[in-house]
Amino acid sequence: MSPRTIVEPHHTRGDLYLSCDVVIVGSGAGGATVAATLAEAGHDVLVLEEGGHYATEAYTANIPEMLGKIMRDGGGTVAFGRSPVPYLEAKCVGGTTVVNGGMCWRTPEKILDEWSERGLVDLGAKALDRHFTEVEETINARHQDPGSHGGVNDRFYEGATALGWKLSRNRRNQVHCVGSNDCVTGCPSGAKQSTLQSWLPRFWAAGGRLHTHTRVEKIVTRRGRAVGVSGTLLDPYKKRRFTVRARAVVIACGAVQTPLLLQRNKLGRECGHVGKHFTIHPNVKVAALFDEPVNSLRGTHQAFQCTEFIDEGILLAPGAIPLGFMTAMFPIFGSRLAEKLRRDHRHIATGGVLVDDFAEGYIKTLPFGIPLVRYDVTDVDQGKFVRAAARLAELYFAAGAREVYTAFHHHAVIESPDAIKKLYADPPRVEDTEYFTAHLMGTCRMSADPHDGVVDPDGQMWDVPGLYLADASIMPGTIGVNPQVTIMALARLVAERLDARLGRGAGAHSVSMARPAA
Amino acid sequence: MKDFVFPGRLRRTARALVAAMVPRWDDFDKDLTDEVLDEVEALVREMPLFNQIGLSLMLTGLEFAGGPLTLDGLRPLSSLEHARVVERIERLADHPVPQVRMLPMLLGTLISFSAYSREDVEQFLGLPRRAWRRDRKALRDRLVQLDAGRPAPAPPTPLGGAPEVTPETYLLFEDERAHHRPDAGQEAG
Ligand SMILES: Cc1cc2nc3c(=O)[nH]c(=O)nc-3n(C[C@H](O)[C@H](O)[C@H](O)COP(=O)(O)OP(=O)(O)OC[C@H]3O[C@@H](n4cnc5c(N)ncnc54)[C@H](O)[C@@H]3O)c2cc1C
Ligand code: SF4
Repeated sequence: MSPRTIVEPHHTRGDLYLSCDVVIVGSGAGGATVAATLAEAGHDVLVLEEGGHYATEAYTANIPEMLGKIMRDGGGTVAFGRSPVPYLEAKCVGGTTVVNGGMCWRTPEKILDEWSERGLVDLGAKALDRHFTEVEETINARHQDPGSHGGVNDRFYEGATALGWKLSRNRRNQVHCVGSNDCVTGCPSGAKQSTLQSWLPRFWAAGGRLHTHTRVEKIVTRRGRAVGVSGTLLDPYKKRRFTVRARAVVIACGAVQTPLLLQRNKLGRECGHVGKHFTIHPNVKVAALFDEPVNSLRGTHQAFQCTEFIDEGILLAPGAIPLGFMTAMFPIFGSRLAEKLRRDHRHIATGGVLVDDFAEGYIKTLPFGIPLVRYDVTDVDQGKFVRAAARLAELYFAAGAREVYTAFHHHAVIESPDAIKKLYADPPRVEDTEYFTAHLMGTCRMSADPHDGVVDPDGQMWDVPGLYLADASIMPGTIGVNPQVTIMALARLVAERLDARLGRGAGAHSVSMARPAA
Repeated sequence: MKDFVFPGRLRRTARALVAAMVPRWDDFDKDLTDEVLDEVEALVREMPLFNQIGLSLMLTGLEFAGGPLTLDGLRPLSSLEHARVVERIERLADHPVPQVRMLPMLLGTLISFSAYSREDVEQFLGLPRRAWRRDRKALRDRLVQLDAGRPAPAPPTPLGGAPEVTPETYLLFEDERAHHRPDAGQEAG
């Protein structure tokens, strides 16, 4: 009998002892890309994923049910700081790509140049081009089909056009997205090409195996080199253990979980960078009320972005969301909220601003393994938020909005274009702003110098031979645009390097990259 | 805790909060309190112990400190009628201390996510989301069938250096059109 490609706890009995060439922890943007690339190169690859596997039919319209099923901590994850920043990490096969908005941006060339100047010469635009191309083809980065935009995107388009602001038509990883507006809780039509629909089928076709409900807790090392992992098999009936031995270990748990796993295993302490340099592209929401119906029920999440202010590190974007999420836009409750939504829900267009942040937070493991995620929005970044929200308000008024809602406590409603000035005259403080983020990056950054980061330019940890990282944590810095294509391109690069190493014995740092003897 | 339920007094507070926050319209005759409370509890069950403790502390804070913080008397939240609960919550949401404002926003969001993604509520508001999703899935299945045997389109020009949208090109989708010409798939983009 051929081995199963997706192994659920009920397919096995007792504790598991497995072996393979490469074990990959996590099946999101980074993990699935490495897995497919190495499996296709002929290696015996095993993916361990803490979450479950859900096929298209399993993504229902019930928001709390979906949050409980596919999000880490039921979606109750928050970065603490001057103002708390809620964030989302998915916990399921496909990782956060299952719940993301599908926007596909290459890393801006300006950023790649900066990284090259920092010595990461393989991250130049030319060097990464073939990886970007492979990624875009695999995940089907395309423009939306005509007719699938919906009113939220159309209003945004009209406002930007009226002002003569630059618009970029989004490429999204989708095939015939039909605008169900449900991206955040998993695509109910199968259109979104998350890794579940793109890299993982390639991985399975190449003979890869994936175990669900396997939470990796320990990275096994021998004489300082990574030789496997172990952890708990989350069998609902009985806690079980698993151990995997491998020639190389790839951790791709995301920018929060990867540093936590390293910290709990006391790995990478010498370099002093694990968990640091945490950037998050914070967002604030802005919504607008129109006289004409917008019908946010229908249409895709985001079809355009306004790039007029990208040089200032500001992106403006529409963002269609289901009614349940729309409720979080208003600081009113009970019958007032019920009446407002009954009257206006058809007329509200939602959107937001994304800021390329200068601040850096950190991830720390407290006693008893409790995670602390800390991020303080700086006053400099707050200045950008105020400008960005003011411009999005301007855009909405140009599209005919009657009033605009912001995430600033003292300026919750802007009643007219003239009233936008109040944002500048009495700028809201960080503490008076509600943020949100979806982009977590940089906590185990790649560096050309062993003293400056956690992984070398091949993705291997400077301090631990045989241990590779390949997710958002290795991004050398913030990029100002949605990160999944960057993560996948970096993962592709790591996989290629690892493939070459496996041929000649995993873990051999080339001489020029060796850490100087302590 | 996988078997988490709000214990004793906390459940009373949580219930009072939910009862005040669930949508009530004159011509909508359902009381959603118990069902929404169950759903909120089910969601909290998925959270780690640390968050469960945090939420319990927040509820305790709302129950006993909400009144003094809003100069609204000493009566605990669970002893107030709906309208008073909402009034107190809205005052807390407008409190000068940002950390205090967080309490009702966080709990309110948790409740509203549940309440406003229910089929009966969406139906009442004229938002047949479940039916829409089914309709979209069927449409996509048809589109995918039509695609069978056709080459996939090449990805369009990378963003960044991408041509920007102009009013003239807004609804032109050359690359997708090329996709529908069987001989042009490879040149698309
Ligand atoms: C709401 C939302 C919208 C977004 N929209 C976009 C967008 O439009 N475009 C874009 O480019 N990006 C978007 N992103 C961001 C993008 O999806 C993420 O940056 C990307 O998926 C991160 O990839 P990753 O590999 O680092 O981690 P993930 O994709 O999160 O994968 C990590 C995986 O590791 C698993 N894991 C963690 N710990 C363990 C463990 N100990 N043992 C076993 N498994 C473990 C997790 O369960 C998870 O499946 C969005 C994100 C969110 C939340
Ligand atoms: S808008 Fe709907 S159909 Fe389109 S990708 Fe998102 S969830 Fe899928």
